[in-house]
Amino acid sequence: MAVTTGSRELFTLDGQGVLLKGTYHRPRQLKSSTELSKPDRLGVLFLNSLFLPRTATGDSAVYWAEAFAASGYHAFRMDLPGLGDSDAPLNTALLDFINAGGYGAIASAKVKELVARFDLDGVVIVGHCAGAVTALHAAAASEACRGLVILDPYFYLPQQLKKSKAWKRLVRWAASSALGGALSTAYDRLKDLRLSLRGKRPPGNANFALLRRWSEVAAKGLPVILFKAPGRKSPGTKPRVGEFNYIQHLLSLSDRKNQVEIQVIENTDHSFANLAGRSAIRDHVQRWLEIHFPLEPSIESTEVSTKVVVTVNEMNYGKHAECL
Amino acid sequence: MSEQADYFEVPGAHLYTVLHDVAAPVARVLLVGPFASERQNSYGPWVRWARYLADRQVEVLRYDYRGIGESTGAFEEMTFSDWHEDVRLLSSWLNERSPNLPLLLHGLEVGALLVGRIFDEGIGDALLLWSPTPNANVALRSTLLRWVGLEQLLRYSEDRKTAGDYIRKLEQGSSVEVEGYQWSPGLWRDSFTFELPSGMDDETNATLKYERPVKIAILSADAAPLAKKGIVGGGDEIKDLSWLYSDNFEWISEALTNPVGRA
Repeated sequence: MAVTTGSRELFTLDGQGVLLKGTYHRPRQLKSSTELSKPDRLGVLFLNSLFLPRTATGDSAVYWAEAFAASGYHAFRMDLPGLGDSDAPLNTALLDFINAGGYGAIASAKVKELVARFDLDGVVIVGHCAGAVTALHAAAASEACRGLVILDPYFYLPQQLKKSKAWKRLVRWAASSALGGALSTAYDRLKDLRLSLRGKRPPGNANFALLRRWSEVAAKGLPVILFKAPGRKSPGTKPRVGEFNYIQHLLSLSDRKNQVEIQVIENTDHSFANLAGRSAIRDHVQRWLEIHFPLEPSIESTEVSTKVVVTVNEMNYGKHAECL
Repeated sequence: MSEQADYFEVPGAHLYTVLHDVAAPVARVLLVGPFASERQNSYGPWVRWARYLADRQVEVLRYDYRGIGESTGAFEEMTFSDWHEDVRLLSSWLNERSPNLPLLLHGLEVGALLVGRIFDEGIGDALLLWSPTPNANVALRSTLLRWVGLEQLLRYSEDRKTAGDYIRKLEQGSSVEVEGYQWSPGLWRDSFTFELPSGMDDETNATLKYERPVKIAILSADAAPLAKKGIVGGGDEIKDLSWLYSDNFEWISEALTNPVGRA
């Protein structure tokens, strides 16, 4: 039995009386974790997606961590308390806890601990779905956060009705029958009418605390890349008819000094775990890391990393791959 | 009590293991958990089951299959023989660690097939099977059906594929992706012949045949996500399953103190 393999190392963080378990993926060509010079010691930290262990769907987080480590970045996957291998009393209202930013403080504290433990210069935090909620809260609170990668985040609070089994059965029926589909479309239009009466204000069920965290992160000027998976009725960055356009709202909260990039990944689903999704995320994040956190800084790449970037780049990854 | 995570070397890979170490253990359990994408959906309840046992002085070893989760190796290159070998190696390691303590083998679905076959080889003092299937194909098929059901919700009717479409693809020699795992045609083909040993479909017959305690429990939907129940979600991952744990612990306690065939 050993806590290391050739490229991986199991670690624990036990500061503040909270024991967290994680996996460290050593950067390519490093014999020890202290070999790179300080500016190159950037960590890429993956947080749990909702209730999933730190491997994520289809072990996609393992795949990405290995890829970024192969590019020379220190990659970490960590289980937050009560998730994966990190113990905590069972919290049956965990989603509400996460949506309220419940993990933000401990995630931020553990980022600080991780940075000290592995002698890092800082970390890029990666969060998917509910993990993106925690990532935003942690990034706003953490001085060691250098950037943010968020995958299919949501900025609303799920209503109690929509958590019920009856609602889920109704959604299933609407998705699988012609009559249900027609009624669903009519319902969307009614919602759209109501939404248009509100103007550009977020709806009442918006997660306003999370939107404030976004503003704080944007104000810091941290590079942020946001990935959106296509929904059945929400192509591109546009939301489903009747739903508030949070991406447009997020961009309106950001100004010219912000480095916010939005990418739509086609041919995948919310988990990004299929071949198209995982390879697109790998490629986009690697490119984004190389621009904002080059490992061997050159004059050219330094210029790019300090440039003001505000982009909304809708790209059909499938078509892009064909071009390559 | 501590939880020690390690890598255990097997041919061509490292298995991720977690030993729930206890002071003065009264027994040891090897947990052989959910397979492939079932792991991610039921990880929390499975870990809590390990902790439940450890709290009651049972030393527990749980692990990830070769090529899955935290273990290394490429899933698409693995075979049922590899996973069978993992169980054999780990049960030997656990046996050598404290040979005087009784060893329980416990598996869920494909894990139940794996421990059933090891038990059939004479390893272990008691056997607990949760939702064993006659062969691995039945387990794979139910995972596929659940996943296809979810996929159909997310796609327009013209883009929807049925489980039959995926099965045809596998039978024609192509891999298919199921919740992020590449199922190879070889995996599908071999799953038909990876069977529960004969006589293990009924716990009374199995107990008589092996002269060691055997319990077979088919988990109800209440035990989701450890039991497959339509689409995973809605908080199943964080619900309290202590009723399931206590029922099964009671049996373990009885089985290991009064093994069949012992005075």
